[in-house]
Amino acid sequence: MLAIKNLSLKRANKLLFSSFEMQAEAGQIVVVLGPNGAGKSTLLLALFAMLEPASGEVLLENKDVQDYSRHDLSRLITWQGDLPPTEFGLTVEQRLLLANDGNDIKEALLYMDLGKLQHRVLGELSSGERQRVEIAATMVRDNPIWLMDEPTAHLDMRHQVDCLQLMKQEAKEGRLIFTVLHDLQQAAAVADVVVLLDGKGGVEVAEAEVMLTAARLEPVFGVTLKGHGRELMPVYNGEIE
Amino acid sequence: MLIAAVGGVVIVALGLGEHWISPWNPSNNMESVILWDIRWPRILTAFAVGGLLALAGAWFQVLLGNPLAEPYVLGVAGSAAVGAVSGMMLFPDSVWVTSMGAFIGAWVGIAAVLAFSHLGPTRLLLAGVVLAALWGAVLMLLMAMLPERGLMLAYAWMMGDLSHSSLPIWLLLLVWLGALCCGLVLSQSLDKLLLGERHAEALGVDVSSLRKKLLLLASAVTAVAVTAAGTIGFIGLVVPHLMRLLFGSLHKVVLLASAFGGGLLLIIADTAARTVISPAELPVGVLTAVIGVPVFLWLLLRRR
Repeated sequence: MLAIKNLSLKRANKLLFSSFEMQAEAGQIVVVLGPNGAGKSTLLLALFAMLEPASGEVLLENKDVQDYSRHDLSRLITWQGDLPPTEFGLTVEQRLLLANDGNDIKEALLYMDLGKLQHRVLGELSSGERQRVEIAATMVRDNPIWLMDEPTAHLDMRHQVDCLQLMKQEAKEGRLIFTVLHDLQQAAAVADVVVLLDGKGGVEVAEAEVMLTAARLEPVFGVTLKGHGRELMPVYNGEIE
Repeated sequence: MLIAAVGGVVIVALGLGEHWISPWNPSNNMESVILWDIRWPRILTAFAVGGLLALAGAWFQVLLGNPLAEPYVLGVAGSAAVGAVSGMMLFPDSVWVTSMGAFIGAWVGIAAVLAFSHLGPTRLLLAGVVLAALWGAVLMLLMAMLPERGLMLAYAWMMGDLSHSSLPIWLLLLVWLGALCCGLVLSQSLDKLLLGERHAEALGVDVSSLRKKLLLLASAVTAVAVTAAGTIGFIGLVVPHLMRLLFGSLHKVVLLASAFGGGLLLIIADTAARTVISPAELPVGVLTAVIGVPVFLWLLLRRR
């Protein structure tokens, strides 16, 4: 469905990573991991042609994403990114109706627990509540590919679980999901494939079980990890006096 | 509702003046001339200019992603004033030359701003503010060279004057209608732009082309308004916010309400300007602020 060929990305003339190759299919969840500034969000932007690669290409159904019109691309790929600005007083419902493309918004409101906030202005909500609105906006667009930049950021534990569960469910129904995550346990809970950006220009792709190990991740993040598989986590106690 | 309000205000504004004249039955020929040849065109000019300023304000606010933006923020009013005052220096007795100068000046200002249209909202705003400062400096230089009588004329022009518009009224109303229609066509894209440029693009909006269209449209509308009536402050800043507070942020409603509401506010302000100390007149720009500020502050406070 999505093929990344020899991709190199730059930000402000600094090379983020180069020669990235991968193939992603419908139904997969691809988790992008890496330290701050490694280019995770930039990678997501490149996937829907929001920036031009330094070299290489991203093929969607065998056609370079740069050659799609904005309109066509918006019917194939949904991007969940920064929280939108709140200066102009949109309500939750209005924000969802801008995204929905004619689809019903009730189910998304219900799933993200937004029923009571439906008519509130975005600026009056907390960051976590606004993040839930963004997840709901992703749901109502009904596109085959979701790009999610830290979807669980700002969320409380209940809604983090709901969000991850949603991703898992949607992938099962055939969506391709690329997501940036920082929490290893969350990554392990949903990932089929992991893309690891090391922040020094390197990029690796592998199945989640292969990649989510202390041996692979410790040198990249510079922390001590304990446990295996879904239990892999940083040893906060050991490092903080 | 707004149309009814406009209708009511127009009738009262027609009647009010140095002397009250009933719009239904002017008692003699003189009164009928005052009504239909003097007051009526002035009311229509106020309506169109007010509506245009409010539309331009709404567009600049979303284009620049900044609630403080208004039609003159990118220096179009400044360059128009430079043009108008240059016109006054060359032909002190021709209103027409002043208007022409304003129109040409406005477009010089627009051309300067368009050169920066590819920059993001913040840098575009900064470029506009700096250009406005430049026009302000040139304007001061020109004013220092004006004779005393010219100075009075220049001040009057800069505070806004609806009494001698040299643009035909049908043209102003046509521009008003055209601007409103363009705005309504773009309204869904404008709504998406409220989410920020990236979100708008992700939702299928070609943002760079929309920005160019919007900049051109808003600037052109400002140029027409400035040519017709000089610089009238405050309407373009406050009316769009008033309408958002009253009717919500979706542009279909905001633009429609601004086009009528801006006209309505300017008719009220202008009627007050020519009646409160009649037979003398106050500058209408003073009245727009005096009426607009309390209404706006009241609505802001009521919100919470």
